[in-house]
Amino acid sequence: MNAPERSACFLLDDDEEKVEYSVDTKVSNAGTFTFNKEDHTVANLLRMQLLRDPAVKFAGYMHPHPLVAPVEVLSAAIEDLSNETDHLITQVTDAIDKWKKENDQVGLGM
Amino acid sequence: MPQQRFPKIEILSIRPHHIQFILSETDTSMANAIRRIMIAEVPTLAIDLVEYAENSSVLNDEYIAHRLGLIPIRYVPEGSMRGGDCHTAFLPHRECVCYDRCPRCSVEFELDVDFDKVNMTRPDQERDLPLTVTSRDLISNNILVAPAHFLNEEEQDEAHDEGISIVKLGPGQHLKLKAIARMGISKEHAKWCPVAVATYRFWPIITINDEACQMLTMEQKQELVEACPDRILELDEITGNLVAVENAYEMATYTEDLKVAQDAMKKRPEDDDFVKVEPSTDRFVFSVETTGAMDAEEILFSALRVLKDRMNYLAAEVEKLKD
Repeated sequence: MNAPERSACFLLDDDEEKVEYSVDTKVSNAGTFTFNKEDHTVANLLRMQLLRDPAVKFAGYMHPHPLVAPVEVLSAAIEDLSNETDHLITQVTDAIDKWKKENDQVGLGM
Repeated sequence: MPQQRFPKIEILSIRPHHIQFILSETDTSMANAIRRIMIAEVPTLAIDLVEYAENSSVLNDEYIAHRLGLIPIRYVPEGSMRGGDCHTAFLPHRECVCYDRCPRCSVEFELDVDFDKVNMTRPDQERDLPLTVTSRDLISNNILVAPAHFLNEEEQDEAHDEGISIVKLGPGQHLKLKAIARMGISKEHAKWCPVAVATYRFWPIITINDEACQMLTMEQKQELVEACPDRILELDEITGNLVAVENAYEMATYTEDLKVAQDAMKKRPEDDDFVKVEPSTDRFVFSVETTGAMDAEEILFSALRVLKDRMNYLAAEVEKLKD
């Protein structure tokens, strides 16, 4: 009766933005990005990539239980990940073609 | 730009329903992200809505609808033999501009099996035995889309039925329905999951200190070989040295047994280890097995595409924040 739709865990609500940002009042050069309707898949990936940037002193993420500045650095991290994914796609295509060539010569089709 | 990684892929084997590859020079977060996307966010087709005209079988409507939803649906693009990525040919139902449904966002299947009609055509020894309604009886309105009846020929040869069995009918029973398949992702319901298994393991880095091993007797070396429950070490026949087994990456489980056995053999506790086995932090062995809805390499491509599109989407949203 109270259960929300399953699609609510990945579709944005009407009044929600995907990314929100608020500056941290207590620490200088710090801020909090809120990514709505995302999960560990993307969050952990971004956190690890941010930690590789020497300009970043601290990066962490929280994923609260459903029942309770810094903008340039984030853009750079996202761009790096996007390029890494592109590179991976070409690598996969090449590797599969190469494997197929080698193995189709051995015995025609499998 | 400065912090980009350049990951490498090495394919170990490709079969239509199973792919194994090694992903290296990247972080666990990337390997985990790919794994999570393959399981949860690769779009596939599955039956989502069932309209009944007639059901006098022993199973009730929603039971049969549940079973129909779990049948893997295969989309084969024109000119290809492989189960392909359906996101190019279909729109998600909620984004489609049509009123109720259209060929762009859904595929209709019809099923009409009447025991009495079929019984008349059956050979004598089979007459009046229960009739199995299988996925072969689902007739699609789109020739590129059909249920995946079997994973491979081996399974087909061993099976009793001609497809995935849905329900069995007896005399006087009739099942007639229309099933509508839509595109979706596994996050919404597990029926849309394209993989049966998508896992990765860490590549084991096995360092054998040959100098230290010289001081061990053959019995002690044999003891080390038997200490590992995953059997990743063996004694080389010719030289009598400890070597790692060839397919160690498939078997390594990183238990403490080896360490404990070695500590017992060392003369002093602070001596170097004879053999060290550690999981690598940037090399992973993936194994992906499909349900038949898509081919294994297509799932990998689709997962990477979903990841790339997600990154682009987030980049655009973060750009908006800059203003």
